Amino acid sequence: MFVLPPPPRYPISQTTSSPNGGTVQNPVVEMSNVLTHPSGPEYQLSVGEGTYFLQDNLHFATPPPHPQDGPITNPNPLATTPAPPKAGIKLSICITSPRKSLTPLYRQAAPSTGSNLGTYSIKEHEKESRSSHDTSSDGATPHFPSSSTSGRTPIFGEDNSALTPLAGKEGVKRKKPKTNLVKSNSQFISRVIPHDQLGKRLQDHNAEGIFVFANIDRAYQWLDLSSPAPARAQPLMKILFAKAHMLCHDINPFTKGPAHIDVIMGASTGDIVWFEAYSQKYVRINKNNIISPSAISEIRWLPGSENLFLASHMDGTLIVYDKERDDAAFVPETNPTPATAHIPNGTDSDFHPLHINKSVNSKNQKSNPVASWKISNHRILAFAFSPDSRHLAVVSEDGSLRIINYLKEQLRDLYTSYYGAFTCVTFSPDGKYVLTGGQDDLVSIWSIVERRIVARCPGHHSWVTAVAFDPWRCDNRNYRFGSVGEDRRLLLWDFNVGMLRRPKAASMRNRDRASICSYAPISRNRTESTQVPGGRLRSTSNLSNEGADEDELIEHEVESRTVTATLPPVMSKVIDEHPLSWVGFEEECVVTACGEGHVRVWRRPVDVVGAGEG
Amino acid sequence: MTYPPLRFSFAVSLTENIHETQPLRRLPGLLYPDPDDLPLTHGCSPFALTSAGAAEDRSSLPPQGVTTREKSANMASFFNRMRSSAFGNTCYCNSILQCLYYSVPFREQVINYPKRTPLESVTTTSTGQSRIDPNAIILPPNHPSLTPARLMKQQPQGPNSARTAGGPPAAPKTEDKEHPDYKKRVAQARGPTISMTYDNTAAYGMPESLFTSLKDIFEALLAHKSNVGVVSPNKFLEVLKRENEMFRSAMHQDAHEFLNLLLNEVVANVEAHSKKLEVEEEEKRKGMNGSADKTGFEQALASATPKAVPGNTGWVHELFEGTLTSETKCLTCENVSQRDEAFLDLSVDLDEHSSVTACLRKFSEEEMLCERNKFHCDRCGGLQEAEKRMKIKRLPKILALHLKRFKYTEDLQRLQKLFHRVVYPYHLRLFNTTDDAEDPDRLYELYAVVVHIGGGPYHGHYISIVKTQDRGWLLFDDEMVEPVDKSYVQNFFGDRPGLACAYVLFYQETTLEAVKKEQDAESLAAAAKAIGEMSKEPVGLGLKTNGFMNGIQHVKSAVSPTTPTIEETNGYASLDKAVTEPSPIVEPIPQSPNEVTALPQIPTSGMPNEEVKSKKERAKEEKERKAIARLSARQEEKTEKERRKNLEIKRKEMVRKVVEDTKAAIEASKASKVEEDHRVAFENGTKEGPKEGHVAPLGGLSRFKSTSKSFRKPRIFSREPGKEEPIADADEDVASPTGHETAEKPEKYKHRFSGLRKKGSNMKLL
Repeated sequence: MFVLPPPPRYPISQTTSSPNGGTVQNPVVEMSNVLTHPSGPEYQLSVGEGTYFLQDNLHFATPPPHPQDGPITNPNPLATTPAPPKAGIKLSICITSPRKSLTPLYRQAAPSTGSNLGTYSIKEHEKESRSSHDTSSDGATPHFPSSSTSGRTPIFGEDNSALTPLAGKEGVKRKKPKTNLVKSNSQFISRVIPHDQLGKRLQDHNAEGIFVFANIDRAYQWLDLSSPAPARAQPLMKILFAKAHMLCHDINPFTKGPAHIDVIMGASTGDIVWFEAYSQKYVRINKNNIISPSAISEIRWLPGSENLFLASHMDGTLIVYDKERDDAAFVPETNPTPATAHIPNGTDSDFHPLHINKSVNSKNQKSNPVASWKISNHRILAFAFSPDSRHLAVVSEDGSLRIINYLKEQLRDLYTSYYGAFTCVTFSPDGKYVLTGGQDDLVSIWSIVERRIVARCPGHHSWVTAVAFDPWRCDNRNYRFGSVGEDRRLLLWDFNVGMLRRPKAASMRNRDRASICSYAPISRNRTESTQVPGGRLRSTSNLSNEGADEDELIEHEVESRTVTATLPPVMSKVIDEHPLSWVGFEEECVVTACGEGHVRVWRRPVDVVGAGEG
Repeated sequence: MTYPPLRFSFAVSLTENIHETQPLRRLPGLLYPDPDDLPLTHGCSPFALTSAGAAEDRSSLPPQGVTTREKSANMASFFNRMRSSAFGNTCYCNSILQCLYYSVPFREQVINYPKRTPLESVTTTSTGQSRIDPNAIILPPNHPSLTPARLMKQQPQGPNSARTAGGPPAAPKTEDKEHPDYKKRVAQARGPTISMTYDNTAAYGMPESLFTSLKDIFEALLAHKSNVGVVSPNKFLEVLKRENEMFRSAMHQDAHEFLNLLLNEVVANVEAHSKKLEVEEEEKRKGMNGSADKTGFEQALASATPKAVPGNTGWVHELFEGTLTSETKCLTCENVSQRDEAFLDLSVDLDEHSSVTACLRKFSEEEMLCERNKFHCDRCGGLQEAEKRMKIKRLPKILALHLKRFKYTEDLQRLQKLFHRVVYPYHLRLFNTTDDAEDPDRLYELYAVVVHIGGGPYHGHYISIVKTQDRGWLLFDDEMVEPVDKSYVQNFFGDRPGLACAYVLFYQETTLEAVKKEQDAESLAAAAKAIGEMSKEPVGLGLKTNGFMNGIQHVKSAVSPTTPTIEETNGYASLDKAVTEPSPIVEPIPQSPNEVTALPQIPTSGMPNEEVKSKKERAKEEKERKAIARLSARQEEKTEKERRKNLEIKRKEMVRKVVEDTKAAIEASKASKVEEDHRVAFENGTKEGPKEGHVAPLGGLSRFKSTSKSFRKPRIFSREPGKEEPIADADEDVASPTGHETAEKPEKYKHRFSGLRKKGSNMKLL
């Protein structure tokens, strides 16, 4: 069976280009979201623990192009005009009430793992800790003590006295942005459409209910998924931007509360918007691209920080901003340390992987940016913070995964994809593993502790676009994660530390290229003379006193397919008509989103939800 | 039968026999404004596609033509490239030829086979006669009538001239600078047009064949002094059509099929030639054996030559050939039988929303042989149910992947084009290798894409996007060449409006180190550009005009040097052009006076002084800045100013630094890559002739360098919708008869050597 090709559709005068370059056949002028509840076997996911049912199928309205814009799509297929960066729908999910602990699933991290991270300590979950219950948009980090609970984890920039006065204290009333969104006459914002009964709906909102923030095209929507059915589809607030398309956004889990949600958004134009949902006020950061002109691919609040957030720009820079600070034109500060002053010379391909344009320890902290790091000139496509608030995993278009100790501003590991770009990254809830998805159709599992690739997971039929752990089905030996891709599939995987085996072919064969491993001690002995290409070991020259080994940069080789374990999915299903762009796990549901505006909420199997109900 | 009108072949989509029978038929995008401007004989197409008569006319041009040509050779600085022009509907041929030409090892082998005597170079034969120009019709690119200014003027005033002379009615009303017609005209005006009507078969010592004419084209491309130009592969097409019935019509042909045919032909020609040589040698040896007293020298010669020549006949195989193993497991007796097959390219079935990786996986998936398709088991004897799977045993150096976009549909009784979204990464490894495959993790990089534009298999247009070693990615659309961004390559997944889909993908072997090196170089270049761009722009203003300033990705790498002049009428285009990035590779640009006039804004002129100044100032102001920074907050404003000042200066400084680094990097990589050097030297040698061979590299290199200059230029155009409909109709009318015809094509063209298609009911492809 195959699908007949569509009739010739060239030229189409009014086509709205989808985030992934697809087309919406009929440009819907209709502006309201549509909620449906399709049922049937094709809307069920059968996994070991039971069946997930499609609860809600929300179709977000794609806004028509801004009147000032020309026709978005150039009908000429060979037009060489570069297209603006786009992203499919991404969601930020927020539950305002402090979440109940999930301790049953978690035990203390076994010390026997010999973690050279060793820094996080999962003790009793401290119930009063707000930040340990936060929800990040990818659902990966809800249960782990962040800086506020673990005295051992330093806070980013705490050594810098220039930064401390601005650091907020807990208990103090949260600061709100200045400009009122509704009354603003900024040209940046085209329209703001609050719900008629916004106040009432907010009052009715159950603190346990799910708020969803979503970007679609030039619109940004705030929805309450816990409200009753007909109203559920109607956004509490919709913001239409003029030129900017929001590509990424995040909610600050540290500051969220029953009357306060800090949202930070990054736009295709490089602009950043800090938006407080309840007061409907906002502030623009990097206005007029004063700090960086490049589009923002990912933006996240620094764990445990009220004010600081990190944005990855598509020109390969990571910039820490402070929502309270003003912007100022940014000059890279020359850094005296040899490691960072390194300037690439053509003889070696040694473009230093972490170039500090401005250190967090810089004394000049009057204005944004707080810190700025250049990691390459290739697009950064995603990054994630480790639950222990020390590390940062950054993936970019050149197929590199970087593990950065952002507290020390040091690059720790540099991995390379099997081939093609990495598109997404996430940390496991316990911080031991990192997942990446990429253009090699693979989900890869990397061990932070052992500093190597653990497994490659084939199963997608196209590029992977998002990965996320399901923290409600993870314990300290078993991990559940999900991935979605351009193939419109949702794949679920169960990964057990003990069950991974190398491919059987590996034991029989001992080819030179196949015997690659990247454990730190072995890599240390490796020299340039090694036959294996790319087997270089270099170290940053400013080794810190403690844990020199740990912080030494290792550039890892690509492991051969024949020696790397593979993991099959436990479930694979086409769940949408369009390439998917986002997946997230919540306590009661799994949420997926596609590039064309479909957000689907899959209810977990009823009998097993008990584990999380407490 | 009637030929379907061509969809996108703009400027030169003339049917083959136009100069013989058809009345003068001009196309909307014509070159010559008035008939009296140039004497044209019997409706020869604007840029000398064919006949000898036209050649004479050209040669009788006043001498001024020659001088302008030379000027233009200086001026035409952008692509050291020639374009294969369309000859009839030959975009299938052009796109494939471009891909092959930029398959560096393939090109080198073509050039180097058969082995030359030391006296010969590419440009001269052993007799000292020039190989390149003997009969080539070379149009002066800058004949007065062809200057862009003339082209501009001519359009509005020329309705009664060529445009109405039988051309299609869809002439552009207003001059649209983004219109392909226009671009193509400019392209033709810019460089010489070489008409490949001659052959050097005698020089090669081979009978005329596709290989020899291919070699002719490659050599002409390589050897021509001009950077820009158009090549009409007339001879090549002549041979092709003479020997292959299916390519004889002016119909739309399948690019993949052509690739397959060409590769097989080249193999055959080369093998035939070496066999012939062997036979000759054999005879010679026999003759010598007969003579009693042969000198040691003769003996050595006799033994050496035959080895040398046939020794490298297998190069097509070496490059393109891989081996597939098909394992068939009889379900009755569990016996596994293996069979190896060679392939020159892989044809993979497509799934909706899949990737090339997935398509390749699927290619190697197990397949049940049952029912009517049972397997004859030798052991059990008789037809049995079996499982079959095909895996790659030997990986080719160049992996040509054919995406089966054309699928036979039973209910419509004809081929349909599939518009599935199939994504392809820049790099690839193969998952479907056998366990004993050599180097199963071989890394491939994408270097060429052939794109089919059109709604169906029976009409449409082919273009190619090719990664060149020195110019980045180039878009080849018949006689138009345009530099494109790297991200442009991934515009043809098949889901965009405009019906353009990647059809053949060329991946070549590479290593991770090479990839990293390249990425670093890209980074540097991008950084240089980005910084340069920033330094030219007032801070805070950005390139907000289009709303999307995106660092690297949006920096266009180059634009033709002539276009700025033309586009000055276009207000915003020239505005945009004022933003000029310094090229990543700086080298004094040799500028003829002509060029100066052509380039009103010369970006580099002011730079050196500023830089010198900035160096001094920088040191001074560095101090100042630090001093000021220590001051209290009262002086914040002052600091701010100072900082901004510094900012600009530093950026300039950075530009210079990065530029220097880039230069160093390029220099170094050149030095390190021995083969590369060898190649360059070779190319130059071939350009300059053997005698100046040792001097040549310098000149050649500097020419390479001088040509990279960057402008930003928005390229937006919309095509007139009117052009569209008739074609769509034509599709309906013509498609079914042709469908039958193509379906009944002689088998021998289908599976000559490889083009391995997975067995199945749905296999017939154009």
